[in-house]
Amino acid sequence: MSLSSRMVIVLTAVGIISGGLLSTVGILTRARIEANRLREIEEAIITVVPGAKTNTKIYEEKDFTVYTTRNDQGQIQGFAIYTAGTGFQDKIVLMFGTDAEINKIFRLTILDQKETPGLGAKITDKEAFLKYWENKDCSHPLMLKKPPVAQEELGASEVNAITGATISSEAVLATVNASLAKLRSLIQAGTIQIEENNGQ
Amino acid sequence: MAETTFIIKSSPHLRHPDSVPKIMLSVIISLLPAVAASVYFFRWRAVVLYLACLAGAILTEAVFLAARKKPLSTLLDGSAVITGLLLAMTLPPSLRLDQAVIGAVVAIALGKQVFGGLGHNIFNPALVGRAFLQTAFPVAMTTWIPPVTKIINTATYATPLGNLKFQNAVAQHTLTPLKDLFWGNTGGCLGETSALALLIGALYLVARKTIDWKIPAGIILSLSVFTGIFWLARPDKYASPLFHLLSGGLIIGAFFMATDMVTSPITPRGTIIYALGIGFLVGLIRLFGGYPEGVMYSILLMNTVVPLLNRSTRPRLLGERRAKK
Amino acid sequence: MASKPLSQEFTKGLWGENPIFRQLLGMCPTLAVTNAVINGIAMSLATSFVLIFSSLVVASIKKLIPSQVRIASYIVVIASFVTMADRFLAAFFPPISKNLGPYIPLIVVNCIILGRQEAFSSKNSVGRSLIDAFGMSLGFTLALLVLSSIREILGAGTWLGHQVLGSWFEPWIIMILPPGAFLTLGILLGIIILIDQKLQRSK
Repeated sequence: MSLSSRMVIVLTAVGIISGGLLSTVGILTRARIEANRLREIEEAIITVVPGAKTNTKIYEEKDFTVYTTRNDQGQIQGFAIYTAGTGFQDKIVLMFGTDAEINKIFRLTILDQKETPGLGAKITDKEAFLKYWENKDCSHPLMLKKPPVAQEELGASEVNAITGATISSEAVLATVNASLAKLRSLIQAGTIQIEENNGQ
Repeated sequence: MAETTFIIKSSPHLRHPDSVPKIMLSVIISLLPAVAASVYFFRWRAVVLYLACLAGAILTEAVFLAARKKPLSTLLDGSAVITGLLLAMTLPPSLRLDQAVIGAVVAIALGKQVFGGLGHNIFNPALVGRAFLQTAFPVAMTTWIPPVTKIINTATYATPLGNLKFQNAVAQHTLTPLKDLFWGNTGGCLGETSALALLIGALYLVARKTIDWKIPAGIILSLSVFTGIFWLARPDKYASPLFHLLSGGLIIGAFFMATDMVTSPITPRGTIIYALGIGFLVGLIRLFGGYPEGVMYSILLMNTVVPLLNRSTRPRLLGERRAKK
Repeated sequence: MASKPLSQEFTKGLWGENPIFRQLLGMCPTLAVTNAVINGIAMSLATSFVLIFSSLVVASIKKLIPSQVRIASYIVVIASFVTMADRFLAAFFPPISKNLGPYIPLIVVNCIILGRQEAFSSKNSVGRSLIDAFGMSLGFTLALLVLSSIREILGAGTWLGHQVLGSWFEPWIIMILPPGAFLTLGILLGIIILIDQKLQRSK
């Protein structure tokens, strides 16, 4: 056998065997990986809209996905919005839930971030940051309170900034405010419609 | 071998009367007004921080000299004392003492001795220590207290530059008055608050020609031009060049840190590029960066290009021709 | 080829030819993922899996591969095992997969793996290659364990997620950031060279 045909045969054989193995592994793991991804979103939705039983994806674009959620009686509770914005280091991916009128934010959760540990990364900390976002009036754009004050002293649509991490706090705030505005305009334009009795 | 009676030495044969200890001594003297000012504004906090940094720096130097079997007498050349002093002057007054000591150890160990000691370091040792602390303890390094002389009923206090960056001070008309910046009656690092005290020491160094006046002049010039352009265009949004010159670590950085003989260029053209570069970077970071203050990173960044500047701006020898390509 | 005793083929990976501290190979995962012990362990296991199986395959088929296309063949073999490791982690350990992010696929370009195939497995028997791969994997694992332990303890006050330093300890956040990786590795390299010099002198 000539050298060049041996080279072709060996490389082809190696390629075919490895391709075959990989597609087997791919098939075996695909379902699980997809399930992991869905479960992560499912868990986030339950976190941001307490009592959510089912959810429906009603709108999707890059870094902006809207779900409607229903409670166990099948009534619409509101929206869960998955979105991302630019933080201090990298993208901050977050999700928050609002009521159906978009007047109130239920809760906020951070799904992915690479902020400075011990400083900006505190946006994932419930006591330092997330608890101030619970049940906030979002009929107007939210505002950041700095320096932070006690929870009782915060206004209805004010949230505390993290001391020393103004940029990360502001990034989350700007992302949430922008998503709220976007959601409202999409509803106004009729792109997103909520039909009370036509779920799933 | 018996010692020869002839003295055979390579050049240089003419020596400047200044020696390392003499230069270091004059730098220490020049820092004293600012040290005194910081003790006046922050009282015992300042004193203990100076002591902690000095002890950390001198002990670390001694340990390294002993480990490298060098004579301990080089400890007396004063360079460790200066590193300790300068480091303390760039720390927030509220910093914990153990953290200050860590900074001093890092400054000497990683900033100077790992490179082979005085004269071989690439970066200004005090700034290496500060950069380490800034990244290691970001909260403690950005928590400020008001000076004792200012009666304010708050535990924490924004620095003039922090106020400018994060509180939109120009539009709110809450910018720190220039008068306070000049005398030092404001928050900030220990040694950087009083522009007056720093300038007194700086003038002494310039008059003695211990430092090259072109470095601070270049930094001040490029920072003024950079911030001046923005200030003239939008005086309602940007602070004036004078504010930028008097606030933060600009004066201490320009006169005492950028001028470090080991880490600044040796050629005249290189020196000018180095100085203009620092001023430009300070302006860039202060106006558009994530941090309110950028003197430390600007000097460290320009330190890295010093070897390159030295090589590319080497003056041509008499009669030397540029190599043809 | 002059062959060493088998035990030496194993132990050289631990000290004398340690892939990280001696050969300075595979710096990308070493510096990037050692910010926590769990990440260091996961990265070591994934790399060891790829290294051991690649060595096994390469040593068994070395006679079939014409030398002109050997690098391409090795890379295909390595890439297959890396992809398997990546999919496996994503399916069964999603949090670890998320933490390590792009660094698992990047094992493909980890020089330790291709280096061992080219320098060792392609010239030695299957058994010898496996012993070499185990030694190198263990050396890599130990190095990552030391690095990530130092970084996690100083940078977070914890070890494998357990609090080991008291509340008095203010974590040095720099240690779990990129500069901490360079500082720790540099200091460790210095210490190891120092120990080695002492050992050489005492011989």
